[in-house]
Parts: sequence; structure tokens; C-alpha cells
Amino acid sequence: MSLTVSNRRPSSDGRPAIVVDNVSKRFRLYREKPSSVKERFTKLRGAVYEEYWALKDVSIEVPRGTTYGLVGSNGSGKSTMLRVMAGIHRPTSGSVNVDGRVSALLELGAGFHPELTGRENIYLNAAILGLTRKTIAAKMDDIIEFAGLGAFVDSPVKVYSSGMFVRLGFSVAVHVEPEVLLVDEVIAVGDEDFQRRCFDHLYKLRNSGSTIVLVTHDLGLVQGMCDNAAWLDKGVLKKVGRAPDVVHAYLDQVNEVETKRIEEKSKPIEVTDAETVEAEDIADVRSSHDLVEIEDVEFLDAEGRPTLTITPLEKLTMRVHWRAKVPQPEPLFSFAVENEAGVYVANPGMQPKPTWRDIPAGPGYVDYRMDELVLGPGQYTFTVAAHDHAGTTILHKRERFITLRVQPGNTLVLGLIDMMGTWVPPVSMAKDDDQFEVAPGPFDMAQEQ
Amino acid sequence: MAFVTQVVSYRGLIGHLAQRELKSKYKRSVLGWLWSLLNPAATLLIYTVVFGTVMRIEPPLAGNGELHSFALYLFSALIVWNFFNAVIIGSMGALMGVGALLKKVYFPPECPAIANALTVVIQSGIECLILVAVMIAFGNVSWTFLIFPYLLLLLTLFTLGIGLVLSIYNIYLRDVNYLVTIGMSLLFYGTPIVYPYSLVEANAPELIATLVRFNPLTQFVGASQQIFYLLEAPSPARLLGLTAISVATFLGGWAIFVAKSVDVSEEL
Repeated sequence: MSLTVSNRRPSSDGRPAIVVDNVSKRFRLYREKPSSVKERFTKLRGAVYEEYWALKDVSIEVPRGTTYGLVGSNGSGKSTMLRVMAGIHRPTSGSVNVDGRVSALLELGAGFHPELTGRENIYLNAAILGLTRKTIAAKMDDIIEFAGLGAFVDSPVKVYSSGMFVRLGFSVAVHVEPEVLLVDEVIAVGDEDFQRRCFDHLYKLRNSGSTIVLVTHDLGLVQGMCDNAAWLDKGVLKKVGRAPDVVHAYLDQVNEVETKRIEEKSKPIEVTDAETVEAEDIADVRSSHDLVEIEDVEFLDAEGRPTLTITPLEKLTMRVHWRAKVPQPEPLFSFAVENEAGVYVANPGMQPKPTWRDIPAGPGYVDYRMDELVLGPGQYTFTVAAHDHAGTTILHKRERFITLRVQPGNTLVLGLIDMMGTWVPPVSMAKDDDQFEVAPGPFDMAQEQ
Repeated sequence: MAFVTQVVSYRGLIGHLAQRELKSKYKRSVLGWLWSLLNPAATLLIYTVVFGTVMRIEPPLAGNGELHSFALYLFSALIVWNFFNAVIIGSMGALMGVGALLKKVYFPPECPAIANALTVVIQSGIECLILVAVMIAFGNVSWTFLIFPYLLLLLTLFTLGIGLVLSIYNIYLRDVNYLVTIGMSLLFYGTPIVYPYSLVEANAPELIATLVRFNPLTQFVGASQQIFYLLEAPSPARLLGLTAISVATFLGGWAIFVAKSVDVSEEL
């Protein structure tokens, strides 16, 4: 990340904004619970429940005026941590100390009363946060405008769309000038334009000295926006520290687990009898000549080890193992790449040459080498084909044969691919008396190569 | 005591909640304030007809020595009962009503019940003004009226104490609401409202008479009737007793509420 923020308000004193000290949180998962007075008297057995520790001895310190990320897989206790910080849940043991006015934005929408109108909810939330009616009345227009509610502002929030709900929640939460803002994975819900405005606002808050705690699965966001981060795994604090370090540690583990999981189950389905195949998806197209067969495809990482997961810009080789049934002219190979959404990403193929060699019957392989993988994070399916020497006939085609998972890595790649370009420093065409100002752009465009 | 300061610091929220309730009660209906008095007026009318006219329950002679009205004797008692009823039922509804909110933001969960009690105080204030106006019209006036605000304060503490406990148990146990409805009708007839206490003493078995006598509401109702109808000051013993029981109920109820409500966000 190249954006640095220079005009931060210096922290007034050394005290951290949030101190989480040895916090554990136990939930009881009731399988049976007397939930009425009648049952209490008539049931012999009391409550039957299992204990579940959502947090185990977690200690975190969030310095004042910094942005803090909480990462971890689903069920790792991130959201529980946030709720404990917000004072909604009481820790089972340990203590939480939050210094300053807290505004929390949990899941869909803040604390809204479904029967009240948007405007009334704004007042209600402001009152909960301890703002006076006068203060909030002064901000009312900003809040409504930012949320883009239009005429809906005087309708009960229960009729709002989920997008409106989130926008209003965010708008209220950031406009009440919180000293501590807790955000739980909400920004992802809005549309592109709203997301951008959210980030602008978060940056503004950050610059004005608010402390922000962010729970998100968007690791790019954590790296880009957070100073520090904590990684929770099944309620246990695995790592705290500078955001990039924590993200890397987390990613390493995720990749490891993923690789194991994928490699266990992803041996491709081999179909030999073409007539039994109805699903075109996995069908093999084979010419009647049956000259060349693609036997296997594998990916090799920089060290030449087989892998199915990789991170962007790493070195990667795709190796296609084939077998020639009879001596024949050297075949050509191609493959098509498709992402999860079915978008046809690329289709590199070997070009026919005016002259060719003959090869004997037997096995062989061909490599497609990528010094830097341009694909962004996601899951890509590869269809591999063998063609005759002239490129006119498909000899063998393995439809959606192998899947490669590209994990978010150390370098942030947003979008489908990395353009592989380089930014040249800006050149000012202005004369000397015109000051060239660098306006802070949206953070997600600031990418370093 | 930390809880008290916390609630005080959330007075803005309490005010907001109360304001909201008042608005929905009075602003959104055509007749506004009049509308909210319809229910107590109807109750008063029904009971007067049933118990005063049909069953001929004899009211005592009023403080001015002339007035002899069952309706006004009843009104002086109903003020207390209406308040009690509205705070108890309202407390339970108020906490339930903010359930979704408590899962998303923190605020002391007693705020809605306190806000509800505030709105009921205002409603009772209006009823009280009407009663006073009627009493003035009948020439049944005395300085004892001035004791009522203190009585209302005690009644608020007493009722809020009970309301808080019921409201929190209502979250954990579904049928509390149902049981409270039964309990309220028992209590209504266990309190000398539609009949004078003297009738109980004269006719009821000893056990029932004792139960009615030790019912704190009997004392509240009695004090209110003394103040507004009989125009006599409640005895210091009665006021002291009410003060003690109100403060104790309030503190006890609040303590139970605080103990039971710490994990309420997980229960809603």
C-alpha cells in the first residue's frame, strides 16, 4: 500500500482506546431448555446444553487513533469479539475496557427498530450513543443524504431494502463522530459507489483520530487500511501485530489447509466410455483417430512441486502429460481458462508451424510456463486439448479437467488479472506557479508493483 | 450504585423513548389526549354502573361532609390501579419491544421500562388533574391533594421494581405474560377498589381480610382515597410503611433485573 496518512491527530495520551484483557466468552447451546414457567414446574430435567467457547483467553490492545483488523475464518470468534467490545455481550471471564464513545455497526444495519421510520431510528440511535437531539438534528441532512434514502426516510425501516438498511446503518454510525467505531463486514453489501463512499468516510474518520476496529474477510482491505491486526482461530488468538504480518501468517495457514483439502478430493473424473456421458461438462471429446491422449495435467510451483493452490504473481508451470498412440507428426496443445463465474478468461494455444517433427508412439509432456501468474484470486477451471500438427482437428479434449485455486497473496491483486504494468511517477505539465497537488485517490487503486 | 449513574448518563435515551411513546399515544390519533382518557373513563363508567348503581356499594361520606359519590370514591382508587397496571404491562412490552435493538447496540436494558414508567406518570398526572378539577367542582378540596405527588413517586418506585423483575423474566420464560394477566385480575379484586375496605373487614374470612390488608396496593389505594376523597392526611405510619416498602421493592427489583439481564442480549 502506498497511501500514507500524514495529518493524523496525534493521540492525546498513551492510553490505548480498547484493552481486551484475557477475555473468554462461553455460549450455551441449549438443546433443551424450559422456556416457560409451566415447563419449569412440569419438567423433571433442567436445561440440557453444550458449552461452546467462542473466545478463549484473548488479549488485544488497540492503540488510540489506529485502525485494527480482526481476521479469521468463519466461526473464529471475530464477531463475538466485536460484540464484546461493543458491550453487547458480557465476557464470561476477563475484562474489556473501551475508552470513548463507541459506535458499532454489526452485520446488517445498526440497531434499528423495524417499526420506526428511518428518521426516528436516526434519533433513536443517536440517543443511544448519547448525542443530544440538537446535535443530531444538525447532522440529519448529511446522514440522510449519505444513505441515499430519498423519500423512504419517513417510512418504517422494515420496508427498506437490505441495501438501504446497510447504507442507513453505516451513515448513522459514521456521522455520530464516534471515538471508537466497530465495523463488522457490512460494507461489502453496498454497491460499488456506496462502498467507495464508505471507504472515503472511514479514511476521513481515521484521519480525524477515531479508532476503528474492522472485522472482514477482505484481506486486501485489512492490509490496505489497518495498522494492526489480530488473527483469531476457533476463539484462540493466533497472532497479533502489524496488519501485513498477520495477514500473511493467516494466509499461509489457509493455503496450507486448502491445498490439503483440494488435493485429497480433486482427482479428476475419468470417463472412458463416451456413450454413458450425458453431462457435456465433463465429457472428453475424442476424435475417431484416437491418435493422442491427454493423460494428466498438473501445476508445478516455483520449486517444481505439484500444487493446486497458488498466489498471484508466483511462478507457475502447467504440465500436460500425453501419450501418442501411433507415430505421428508432433501434436499441438491448447487450454482454455474459465473462472467461477464462467467467464472465459484466456485460451493460449500453440501455433501451427510450416515444418514439424514426427514423434514415436509413447508418453510425453508439454509445459506452459508462467514466470508471473497474472490471474487474480479466485478459482479457475482449465480445459485442455490436443490438436493435430496443422491445428485443424481436435485429437483429444479434456473438458474442465483441472481446477486451480489462486489465493490472495502478499501482493494485492484486485479484479480478474494483474495488468503487469508499471506506474511511472506523475509528470506535471503545469508552470512553476501552479501547485501540483496529489489528491488522495480511492485506496483500492493505489497498488504498488 | 454504578448502575444508577449509568442510567442517569442514558437519560437522553430514556427521554427519547418516553417521548416516542407519548407521541404515538397522543399525536397519531384524531382526538389525541382525549383519546387516551377514553379507556380510564370507560372503566370508571362501567364500574360505577355495575358496583355503584346495580350492586349498590355504599361509598363513605366525602371530606367536605356533603359529597357522597361512588364514582368519585372509585376514581380516587382507580388512579392508583391504572398506574400500577399500565407500568407492569408496559414494562414487559417495552423490554420485548427493544429486543432486536439490544442485540446490536449496548444500552442499559432497564431504560425502556423506565421510559415507559415516565409516560405512565404523565398519563396519571392528566387523570389526576381531571380528578382534582371534578373535586373542585364539587367543593371537595383540601391541602391533602398536595401529598399525592409524593404518593405517586412511591408508587412509581414500587411498581417499577415489580415491573423490572417481570419484564426480565418475561424474556426468559414465555408464559410470564400470561400468568401476569391472571395475577393482575386477582390483584384487582384483592385490592379494595370497587368495594370499600370496611366491607372486607366486616364480611370476609379472617385469612382473606389479612391478605387484603397486607397487600401494599391496599395501602396505596387507601392513601389515595384519603387524599382525594376523604380529605385526610394519611397517617405517618402508613406513609412511612409505604416509603419503606416502595424503596425496598424498587432496589430489590432492580438488583434482580441487573443480575438477570447481564446476558439478555444472548437470550433475545
